[in-house]
Amino acid sequence: MNQMKEIPVDPSTSTHSPAAVEVRGLTKHYGSVVALRDVNLTITAGEYFVLLGPSGGGKTTLLRTIGGFHKPTRGSVLLHGKDVGHLPPDKRPTSMVFQSYALFPHMNVLQNVGYGLKIAGLPKSQILEKGTAALDLVGLTGYADRKPHELSGGQQQRVQLARAMVLERDVLLLDEPLAALDAQLRKDMCLELKHLQEKVGITFIHVTHNQEEAMTVADRIALIADGELIEHGRARDIYRAPERKFTASFVGENNMLSGKVTGKSGSEVMVDIGTGETLKVDSRGQPVSVGDTVSLSIRSELTRMDLGNGKTDAKPGHSVSGTYDEAVYLGLTTSHLVNVGLDHDMVSRVVDDLDDLPQPGSDVRLYWTPGALRLHIH
Amino acid sequence: MNDYENIWVHRAKWAYLLLIVVTLMSPVFYVMYISFNLNGFGAAEYVFTWKWYGQIFSDRLLMQALRWTMTLAAMTTLIAVPMALLAAKFYKATDSKLLVVFLMLAPLFVAPDILGSALLVFFKNLNGSFQWLGDILGVSFMDSWFRLSFLTALIGLIIYTIPYSFIVILITMGRYRTEQTEAARACGASGWRAFWDIEFPQIRAGVFSACSFTVILCFNEYTRTSLLKGGFDTFTTVLVSQMLNEGMSEQSYAMSSFVSFLAIALIGSIILYTLIRAETISREARAKAEPVMST
Repeated sequence: MNQMKEIPVDPSTSTHSPAAVEVRGLTKHYGSVVALRDVNLTITAGEYFVLLGPSGGGKTTLLRTIGGFHKPTRGSVLLHGKDVGHLPPDKRPTSMVFQSYALFPHMNVLQNVGYGLKIAGLPKSQILEKGTAALDLVGLTGYADRKPHELSGGQQQRVQLARAMVLERDVLLLDEPLAALDAQLRKDMCLELKHLQEKVGITFIHVTHNQEEAMTVADRIALIADGELIEHGRARDIYRAPERKFTASFVGENNMLSGKVTGKSGSEVMVDIGTGETLKVDSRGQPVSVGDTVSLSIRSELTRMDLGNGKTDAKPGHSVSGTYDEAVYLGLTTSHLVNVGLDHDMVSRVVDDLDDLPQPGSDVRLYWTPGALRLHIH
Repeated sequence: MNDYENIWVHRAKWAYLLLIVVTLMSPVFYVMYISFNLNGFGAAEYVFTWKWYGQIFSDRLLMQALRWTMTLAAMTTLIAVPMALLAAKFYKATDSKLLVVFLMLAPLFVAPDILGSALLVFFKNLNGSFQWLGDILGVSFMDSWFRLSFLTALIGLIIYTIPYSFIVILITMGRYRTEQTEAARACGASGWRAFWDIEFPQIRAGVFSACSFTVILCFNEYTRTSLLKGGFDTFTTVLVSQMLNEGMSEQSYAMSSFVSFLAIALIGSIILYTLIRAETISREARAKAEPVMST
């Protein structure tokens, strides 16, 4: 887990755009605590990039190091190819939106938005013009004279956005910008952020621990945990085809299994999951040998439940038997929990309600299409 | 329990508060009362007069002492408050908060006469060391650096007032969120500019309070200044020695009252200004506030 991990530039965006941000071998220590370990990262100009991970994983440290608020213990940060490791935050071509509404309480909204322009020495007329335009951009026309405490949480975050974007910097850093908002507002703001980034076209680097938020806004996602870059890729790929066990357990709702490799046939690997059943899974070119301990994952929405009425396509090696526990109604979906003899239930999530729910304790079989189950050796 | 449910409970609490204030302030009020008496302290007949106030500026000893004290207070404030501010900023930034607080407050835990005596011995030895060094080098300009003087009294007062300034500033600084400084830096402001534009306006009340407190402490201080001051007199040392030797003069009562009036007026103005400002801001906010949409 200590090896250097290079994120290649996404071919879909790299052809025409240079790297806006490059992080090379970045390590950050706080005393004996290692907050970041040998992180390598390339973010393309104009990309909406999300750093996703559990709290305390190092994603905010990485963002703040890019912004110049932390000095790395080792490694370098390059913005548009120039090493900025020695520059303080005010000398970097970045602006930032903070988690807490870091507005200046003694200034009104327009003064907050125009502060950076004032620092830059722009005349008052231009500050007024650009500040008003920035407020229009974030939908706060008419709020210029209000003080921060007269605004709701969402409005305060919009002011922060306007204050950051009015500077017309190349890279906007967003540190959990929606964490303090209620669920509905967070959803709305996610879409607005995405649309705003598409409109202005600058690079957004957004830190969050909320995977739904990440999926909504991201062109690409990097998963960070325990100070390491675990995995990266397009949002859809991270969700649908996680390479690493941690990614599968963190993103989406995956059923996690572990077992021992008992045989191989071509790319197909047989794994004994310890319940007396052997599952078949594609190795996807990963080097596995008989006797290896491996992990398996399958998304809960790809897991189907056979009620024993003979109407399903459960195939040997692509299904497990168990006893029905309970149904958890979640509104849009319903999760059926099945005990397959492990220390945790497996989940089958379906959109349609079942008219006849199995009785708790009754025998059922969970199954999936070949290819839905994924093998993880890390 | 809500005070307003029973108006008499509410009034009793206010009466109690006023009683405490009057009790604490009654000696000051008494001095003020005497300062307007033509016949002075202890006279059977009270005749109102402005005479002593007219004469305080003619008491050369008292006026000279007042000038020294004001200069000392101004210098102490100019040095101690910025130092306390820096210490408070360091406190906010450091992880070893307990150690910083202990070091900053340590002078408070030493009795004034002990600290004064210790400083007296320290300066005498220091002065002796410089004289010795000067003798070796064959120069004399260092001979008087640490003789008891304005400088030594100033150092004593700085050591005395810094802990108080530190605490007062720290209280206001406690509410300040450092993300605002970071936000200002992200907007392009230098460290100093971020402090001056963003942080200082929010801790200004604490800094000004620390300044007022320092000035008051300088006027209040007797032990350390009398031990360290050298050949000049301060307002307090003159008043105390006058009272001990010959009792207070009528001008002294007038001067004491005059300083008290000034202090009360200053503090009262700050409180009134704060109340009026808070009410104005609240009124403006109510006037502006349309229903805030959660958008």
